[in-house]
Amino acid sequence: MISPSITTASPDEVRPDKKRLDEKCTDKKLPGDLAMWFFILAELTVFAIFFIGFSVSEQLNKEMFNQGKAQLHQTAGLINTIALITSSFFVALALNLMYKAKAKQAVWLLLTAKAFAIIYITVKIWEYLSLFEQGITIETNTFFTLYFLITAFHLMHVLLGMVILAFIAHSAWRDNYQNKELSGFEAGSSYWHMVDLLWIILFPLIYVI
Amino acid sequence: MHRDKEMQKHKTMSAAVNSWIVLIVLSIIAIYLPTFIDNPSMYTICALIIVMIKGQQIVDVFMELNNAPKFWRIFFLSYIVLLPLIISVIYLM
Repeated sequence: MISPSITTASPDEVRPDKKRLDEKCTDKKLPGDLAMWFFILAELTVFAIFFIGFSVSEQLNKEMFNQGKAQLHQTAGLINTIALITSSFFVALALNLMYKAKAKQAVWLLLTAKAFAIIYITVKIWEYLSLFEQGITIETNTFFTLYFLITAFHLMHVLLGMVILAFIAHSAWRDNYQNKELSGFEAGSSYWHMVDLLWIILFPLIYVI
Repeated sequence: MHRDKEMQKHKTMSAAVNSWIVLIVLSIIAIYLPTFIDNPSMYTICALIIVMIKGQQIVDVFMELNNAPKFWRIFFLSYIVLLPLIISVIYLM
């Protein structure tokens, strides 16, 4: 049973501290869908297990891992880092334009972001091919097993992210995000930033330290 | 009010540009760290501190979690602090 005093209260009668709390709550909003954030958390957890597993394996086989890292192409890794960071940057700018209701301009920024993602994929494939040419495969040793597993798993996330970016770009182009309802766009861009976040941990761990 | 919102959006845009510059510069520094630091343990710690700073930039600026409820922001910031810390401990053992 709802108290009549609550239902009949005029806006002026609302306590000032409650009003401030309500304002604070409305200001602090999680971008996108809650479901996407739980999905992102699940992905981060899986990668955390991979990263910790890789670190422990490295401590058990230090010499093998040092030799393996020496065979990787650090510059290719750096190019991929720059490509993913720049791609993420363009997605952040695209979301900003969506807030300003400039959907068509946002689509062009998303396409630019996808172009940088294509650079990442091209470099990664080149890296794999050059390792295969040297006779290095997933079965070579523990280092390369983990290297191929982790980087290929990440690459799959990049590919899924590109599909999501294509979907939100298509929706934005068709003006499907109207009345400032951008949670789908925000969810897609958050996923893409997660892919970037994972790479900035993966890159130093596997290529550098 | 409208002007304030516009200013806020502009601020977010310039924050994204600043973040992008910081991320690129730190990525380049990270790869050339061995030329400045000889000690492998010190180098590992520096590289992982760079990861934390880069992660904070992505979480707060790109993911816009600085405007999200505290729990979510703290959770993601914990991830990018705790994971490099755990890795550091494993490497230094």
